[in-house]
Amino acid sequence: MALLLRSIARPGLYVSRCQFGVLYRHAVPMGTTAKEEMNKFWVKNNRLNRPMSPHLTIYRWSIPMVMSITFRGTGVGLSGGISLFAVAALVLPGNYPYYLDLIHSLAFGPQFLAFTKFALAFPVAYHTCNGIRHLMWDTGKGFKIPEVYRSGYVVCAVSVLTSIAMACL
Amino acid sequence: MASFVRLSSICHRGVKPLFTRSSFLPRELLACRALREKDSMQVQVHASSHSAASAKAASMHWTGERLLSVVLLGMVPAAYLYPGPAVDYTVAAALTLHGHWGIGQVLTDYVHGETKIKLANAGLYTLSMVTFAGLCYFNYKDVGICKAIAMLWSI
Repeated sequence: MALLLRSIARPGLYVSRCQFGVLYRHAVPMGTTAKEEMNKFWVKNNRLNRPMSPHLTIYRWSIPMVMSITFRGTGVGLSGGISLFAVAALVLPGNYPYYLDLIHSLAFGPQFLAFTKFALAFPVAYHTCNGIRHLMWDTGKGFKIPEVYRSGYVVCAVSVLTSIAMACL
Repeated sequence: MASFVRLSSICHRGVKPLFTRSSFLPRELLACRALREKDSMQVQVHASSHSAASAKAASMHWTGERLLSVVLLGMVPAAYLYPGPAVDYTVAAALTLHGHWGIGQVLTDYVHGETKIKLANAGLYTLSMVTFAGLCYFNYKDVGICKAIAMLWSI
């Protein structure tokens, strides 16, 4: 597949400058956009009640896969948490120090507090570290499979260590 | 796989090749070849009146997302070293926008069907507006984001 792509794309790159050049002398534009085509595909799927092929249940889970969905999960979770905080700020009576005093008066043990701090810090730390890994990928670096695994392990280690450090503060 | 082709075009040749090369995605190329075999001299291509402009917009959105991520990264030391209203409001804006664009990508991935997409995006806009309003209100009336985190950590 990759060989096919390379053999086609390289000469194609020079032809692509003139959209309707030699290769596309008899090009006929389709009436629909790619987006419309995709929508038609989904509408047809739903209409025919097509079952979905097994994917998550049959494909072997790997570290990169787990890290990727965790990245998304922490992102959605953190975003939800921030929105919840913002809505609470608008809706709840009383100010922030009032609620902090409330929590303080419940007198949780130090271990429980440390654990809570770890639980709050870990999603932030993980999402930040993996985010940096993503930004490195966006520069084109680190796509070789051993590199993907290595950077993944580094992200996991740094996240845990940072969260522990935060919990000790 | 096509995404890797696009990534390398950005990195080595800038953003322009993105939409000039769009007609060379493997699926479309194979479809073009198949059609050519069937219908002797005719080739069907995807072409909409605004494809170049929308491709440019999508590319700029992508770049904007990455820039915002870097800005947000810089906010972490800034909040620690210079806590105050300037950082508070910047964090509120950057965080809300980063979350808005992030959830937008999640919705694009999992929500299909024209009306469902429209509803989901409308809901997202509402949530982001409320979130930004709430954070700004917190910064204005209450202690502010930086102080809030510091206070929380010293319970």
